Amino acid sequence: MIELVDLTVTFGGVTALDNVSAVFTKPVNGIIGPNGAGKTTTMNVISGFLKCSGHIRYNDEEIGRLPAYKRTRWGLRRSFQREQIADDLSILDNLKVILDVTPGGRAQKAADAEQALEATGLAPRAHTMAGELNTFERRLVDVARCLVGKPKIVMFDEPGGGLSREEAARLGDLILKVPEITGATTLVIDHDVDLISRICAETLVLDFGKRIAFGETAAVLGDPKVKAAYLGVEEVDS
Amino acid sequence: MRPVLPYLGYALIVVAAYIFLAAGKPTLVSGLFVVSGLAVGSLYALGGIGLVVLYRATGVLNLASGAVGAVGVMLAWELQQRGWPQAISWAAALATAMALSLLYGRLIAPGLAWRDPIVKAVATLGFALIILGVTTFLWRTDVVRKFTLPTDNQAMMLLGLRVTLTRFIVVFATVSIVAGIWFYLARTRTGLQMRSLANDRDLSALIGVRILRVESIAWAIAGAIAGFTGLMFGDLLRLEPFVITFMVIPCVAAAICGRLENLGLVLVGGLTMGVVESLLTFSPTLKNIRPIAPFFIAAAVLIVMQRGHQLVFARDE
Amino acid sequence: MLAITRSGLAGTVFFLIALLALPALADGQWIKIFISTGCFVIAASGVAFMYSRLGMVSLGQVALMGVGGWVTLRMNHAFNLPFEINVAVAGAVTLVFGWLLALPALRMRGLYLALITLMAAGGLEVIFSTFRFPNGGPGFWGVMPSVAAPFRRPWIAQSDTAYLRYIMAAAFFGFVLIELHRRMAPGRAWAMIRRSEAAALASGVNVVYYKAWAFGLSGFLAGVAGGLLAGGLGLLDAATFRASESIMLFALSVVGGARFWLGAVIAGVLYRVMPALFSNWGINSDLTLVIFGAALLHAIMTAPDGLSGQILQAFGKVTRRA
Repeated sequence: MIELVDLTVTFGGVTALDNVSAVFTKPVNGIIGPNGAGKTTTMNVISGFLKCSGHIRYNDEEIGRLPAYKRTRWGLRRSFQREQIADDLSILDNLKVILDVTPGGRAQKAADAEQALEATGLAPRAHTMAGELNTFERRLVDVARCLVGKPKIVMFDEPGGGLSREEAARLGDLILKVPEITGATTLVIDHDVDLISRICAETLVLDFGKRIAFGETAAVLGDPKVKAAYLGVEEVDS
Repeated sequence: MRPVLPYLGYALIVVAAYIFLAAGKPTLVSGLFVVSGLAVGSLYALGGIGLVVLYRATGVLNLASGAVGAVGVMLAWELQQRGWPQAISWAAALATAMALSLLYGRLIAPGLAWRDPIVKAVATLGFALIILGVTTFLWRTDVVRKFTLPTDNQAMMLLGLRVTLTRFIVVFATVSIVAGIWFYLARTRTGLQMRSLANDRDLSALIGVRILRVESIAWAIAGAIAGFTGLMFGDLLRLEPFVITFMVIPCVAAAICGRLENLGLVLVGGLTMGVVESLLTFSPTLKNIRPIAPFFIAAAVLIVMQRGHQLVFARDE
Repeated sequence: MLAITRSGLAGTVFFLIALLALPALADGQWIKIFISTGCFVIAASGVAFMYSRLGMVSLGQVALMGVGGWVTLRMNHAFNLPFEINVAVAGAVTLVFGWLLALPALRMRGLYLALITLMAAGGLEVIFSTFRFPNGGPGFWGVMPSVAAPFRRPWIAQSDTAYLRYIMAAAFFGFVLIELHRRMAPGRAWAMIRRSEAAALASGVNVVYYKAWAFGLSGFLAGVAGGLLAGGLGLLDAATFRASESIMLFALSVVGGARFWLGAVIAGVLYRVMPALFSNWGINSDLTLVIFGAALLHAIMTAPDGLSGQILQAFGKVTRRA
């Protein structure tokens, strides 16, 4: 269970997040909203890249005071809008970076990496240099990195970006498997509403840094306030 | 209050240096060292300001500014030796410096415009080596030369101190140039465009700022400043190509004092460095290594700057 | 992890050939030049891996060599310890010294590290020219005006020929040390840092720690190189460690190609052998500055993998065709 309590982030005069609170209990959860709503900012806050006021808790454990790199060691995994993998390293080495900092014996880590590579279908190419991969494969490496080292929270920021329809569908299936492979709570940001409806049980909607809806995905998507935010129509007072 | 804090810090350093080093010496003597320090310090500051203005406008930290100044002052010396009038030799120095600066800015820098600031700075090092090589080839380094101005032998009385006119001119010129640049950036149209470029290059292009034109102006200004500081370093310090080329190092230190953006702090930082370095002459143990004083001040500034600094969002890739 | 790559194999073969052939082919003056070259190859390897693996620029590597050389000389004249201990201490001291210099800049944009190492190079130039290098004299600075006290070379490498082999072995081990780092956790962390700070943090990498490790390794190599240089010449001179020299070594590391061991070798050769050839041929050594500067600009703009990259590319084409 991920608890966000009154997260507020300001940059100079701009309030990027305004007292955002939410409790994510389902295996896969969505965060959606129009551009500039603060979705990536929310993930950056959870990652520890930004200073914020408020609390971030996982199963009642406060992680908001940990520095960013320690959160990863604790069990946070993140996939960015532009995949951030090292071109100079092989796929396996990209996974090993995370395994280097998580506890466990050599055999255990090798098995962990093997499992992640199998799940993403990358096992035959484990020793290929990441620089030689195409966009979809790079995204898969990103996902594989999120599976290793016993993660507790896994976050995907627009994972479907730059992928074809079937690649995005395959990715969606993979994300659905993340909780069962790792036991982690997953957060997904995406603009693809079909993807979100398919894989996310509950969804948070942000607009201008504020939470405007949270709950079961289908209900949230049907909420007139959400529609107003996306389409820019005058808000319906209901 | 907070913006004033660094200025107070520098003032404190100067006062502390004066108390520790020059206490007990007659004020006439220590005053002379302070003035001398202000003169050299203002050159550090001026060099630093040239670096910062260009860096903010183009993203290039021009480590070749010293080399460019060096070739300018060597040319001026050469012309003087051949009997050409002062004004012409000066103009030649400034023109050469500006020409070299513009050459780099128009021909080489655009090819690197999209790359990391480090790479751009390293490229200017290549340019510096080329210029330095040509300069030492044309004017051999084993000869001792002296660059003098007529104002070296004239003095004026200021607060009971006899100040060499050259030193006075240097400080006065620096303050004027800094004021002029401040005015240019704050009040003119191209100055505004330059600030816009410094803030966000891509956005500026989108809103119609003519990048090439504004950048060329920045390179020209930087070249002029480099030429002027080269001339003055040649007069106040030593006329030797290597020495003047690597005066870029204390100028970089001054630029760091301003965090590579704040002109006022560059000015004050540079002056502080110059004065502290000069006052260190009073310390028998440290006087021979006093040129490293700017380095320590810059290092201290960096230590203060990086406290609690998190580097996650440097402009990506 | 300990598999030898094609590049490693080529490097080992190159090393063995050089070990056997070079001292036999070279005569008195050239042996000394090659000894010096070998030391600068070690220093260049330190600069090169930091730049190619992490994007960190050090413009003060030769100055740090001076620190290592100073410590080695001081130890040699102060105590009666074996050469290897003196050099090891020199490496350690330079490592710590390098850290102290670089630490303020490691949390900031990479540009600041370049600037601080440049300032350090300038500062050390002043210190070396003021206090000079120990030659057996009294006091902390250990300088006496006339002839220098003797320098004790390693027990197994007293003659110039043997010392040249010793240096080459040291360079080989230096490359192996770097490669070991690269294949283990530090190398992986460095690659992540190269990608972006965000990527590194999201991978659990403590960025400042691993940057410091890299700079420490580079400083250690510089210190050892300086110590070995002291052993080669018996005494050191402030002019060898001017700020311009540090800049040139960096420039040549880029020109040679920072990614490959061959690049560091090319850097050392260009740095030491070319000026010697020029003076033999009667060409003005100032022109080396111009050539190196132009080569740096060219390398940055068009050939990011430097000369070694181009050589390896051509080699690859040839072997593929065969």
